[in-house]
Amino acid sequence: MSASELSKTHYAELITASNEHLMGGELPWLTSVREKAGEAFAGEGFPTPREEEWRYTNVSALEKNQFSLATQAGTVDADFLKQVLLDDCHHLVFVDGFYQAELSSLADLPEGVIVSALSDGLAAHEELIKSLLDSVIEAPDRGFINFNTALFSDGALIAIDENTNVDKPIQLAFIASSAAALSLSNVRNLIVAKAGSKASIIETFDACESNCYLSNVVSEVVVEPNANLQHSRVQEESSAAYHIAGVYTRLERNAIFAQYNYTFGASLSRAEIHANLGEAADCRLDGLYVGQDRQHMDNHTRVNHAQPHAISNESYKGVLADRSRGVFQGRIIVAEDAQKTDAKMSNRNLLLSDRAEADSKPQLEIYADDVKCAHGVTVGQLDEKAIFYLRSRGADEQTAKNMLTFAFANEMVEHISFKPLQMRVLDALLLRFPQAGMKKEWL
Amino acid sequence: MLKIENLHVSVEGKEILRGINLEINAGEVHAIMGPNGSGKSTLSYILAGREGYDITEGRVLFHGKDLLEMSVEERAWAGVFLAFQYPVEVPGVSNIYFLKAALNGIRKFNDLAELDAMDFIAMVKGKMKELDMDEKFLYRAVNEGFSGGEKKRNEILQMSVLEPSLCVLDETDSGLDIDALKIVSEGVNRLRDSSRAFILVTHYQRLLDYIKPDFVHVLAHGKVVKSGGPELALELEEKGYSWVDEKLAS
Repeated sequence: MSASELSKTHYAELITASNEHLMGGELPWLTSVREKAGEAFAGEGFPTPREEEWRYTNVSALEKNQFSLATQAGTVDADFLKQVLLDDCHHLVFVDGFYQAELSSLADLPEGVIVSALSDGLAAHEELIKSLLDSVIEAPDRGFINFNTALFSDGALIAIDENTNVDKPIQLAFIASSAAALSLSNVRNLIVAKAGSKASIIETFDACESNCYLSNVVSEVVVEPNANLQHSRVQEESSAAYHIAGVYTRLERNAIFAQYNYTFGASLSRAEIHANLGEAADCRLDGLYVGQDRQHMDNHTRVNHAQPHAISNESYKGVLADRSRGVFQGRIIVAEDAQKTDAKMSNRNLLLSDRAEADSKPQLEIYADDVKCAHGVTVGQLDEKAIFYLRSRGADEQTAKNMLTFAFANEMVEHISFKPLQMRVLDALLLRFPQAGMKKEWL
Repeated sequence: MLKIENLHVSVEGKEILRGINLEINAGEVHAIMGPNGSGKSTLSYILAGREGYDITEGRVLFHGKDLLEMSVEERAWAGVFLAFQYPVEVPGVSNIYFLKAALNGIRKFNDLAELDAMDFIAMVKGKMKELDMDEKFLYRAVNEGFSGGEKKRNEILQMSVLEPSLCVLDETDSGLDIDALKIVSEGVNRLRDSSRAFILVTHYQRLLDYIKPDFVHVLAHGKVVKSGGPELALELEEKGYSWVDEKLAS
């Protein structure tokens, strides 16, 4: 029996053993959804590099680890929590995949807005959850999704009522406690911005210690007609962890959606950002990945122009140091009926070492004839002339390189309008590329 | 302050400088003139520490220390400044941030405390006014999208903020209209004092109408072929560089 088959058995057994203990185990419809997903997983297992979409990312190490399921939340100390929680936000806090009501704060939410843990919302909003769960995902490979559906321990339920504006961003803080070592957590977020509403959601991923664990998170997002939703992710998992994430979004007519995806952490990470665009929808997907040591960071985007007159604008930047590896695969699909589509995609990479690697693969499938589609990929190094110029003015060599690296990355940070989030991402950048004697507030 | 002794420099096996000797004291302004390809810019880059040159013979002493042993930034910390012929565009790094990083690097080396942010901005804004530069340049990326004249002014701004002891100006007059040339020259003249020396590398005499040199050296084929006072520049202007070649031949 190969390691992969063995672990399929391990995880398949884990699914069978866990089903009735999971959130909503008493609900036949949910149990049935989970069972179906579990069976599908038992058949397929995790994806392998033989699959086209997983060519560059090998998750076999994850199988060898045979993680066990986290069954309860560990503790998180107050100082750490303070670092993680952003100012001026509503907060939902999850530790090791379990909702922590006493660490969360949801005061002053506008009327008609639901922000709750799935576990808390199940009684009051069962129909809403049922309608959203597994309603958005159109993915060719479903290994991690099935795994998540079968095992999710909790997650956020967010529903913004029609024509309602939620001023403060909603932060979903996912924290791996020191008890997370060799465990796995599955989180499922269900988000709907109803017609004409406006909101901003920020998912953050942090770890108290540098443990090895698996965090598998799926967010399903519906943006109804004329709604405007911003969704950001800041991934700062432990440097030994595995992070597999998916954001699956349906944009309805005239919907506006912007997804900002910042990757700093995890030993191996994969983010699937999918958007299905309705008529005249406006979709922005931006990303920044900053790899060091032997980190592996994989971002997959899939923008499906299913209807005419929609706009998509996609820009991903990678900074790869040491022996890190960045993968970007961006697929744009323009359906036959999606005339007047305007789609742009760019991926620019900066390699800081000879041993760093960037794999970039834009894929355009265009079935309509009256469309604008542009894409560009670059992989480059720091400009030697600029390094010399900065050094000739008194910046030491490392500072000069850091300044140029920071400048390259900062393009994806300076436009963040919500200051606490911008400062958080800046901190993560400056931690990796310190500038001698310089302070954040001078930027 | 600066002593260049028998400096020989090659690039990819081709000898560019063939035994340069120069001595520059504090308070002096030296002009180095010469035709294209004479090695003027190479000399500037050698002083600033650019890579890609083979120094096959000779030495350069700066305040008694071996300049050629110092890294690029060590030279800047010690007080060497090169105003580039083609200032480099640095996208994403704002001018103000760049100036601050540069000044702090130099101050740190000299065991001076960082300047307070408010004092720093006030100081820089004052110098910008003298150079007739709009304050908005502070918040733009270094040299990005600047016109030729704006780039040269920005070099002089950096020079006046960093206050080096040896200023090397490489073809600073190129690409400047007459008004900009005056402003830049005034900026340089303001910095002239008894503790500071200047090397003006230039093809044309024009700059020297505004910045009066104490000494003029003519560089040809990698050697200083003639040295003299300011009158030498005028002679060159009148007779052209072919005159130098003829003299060499005779």
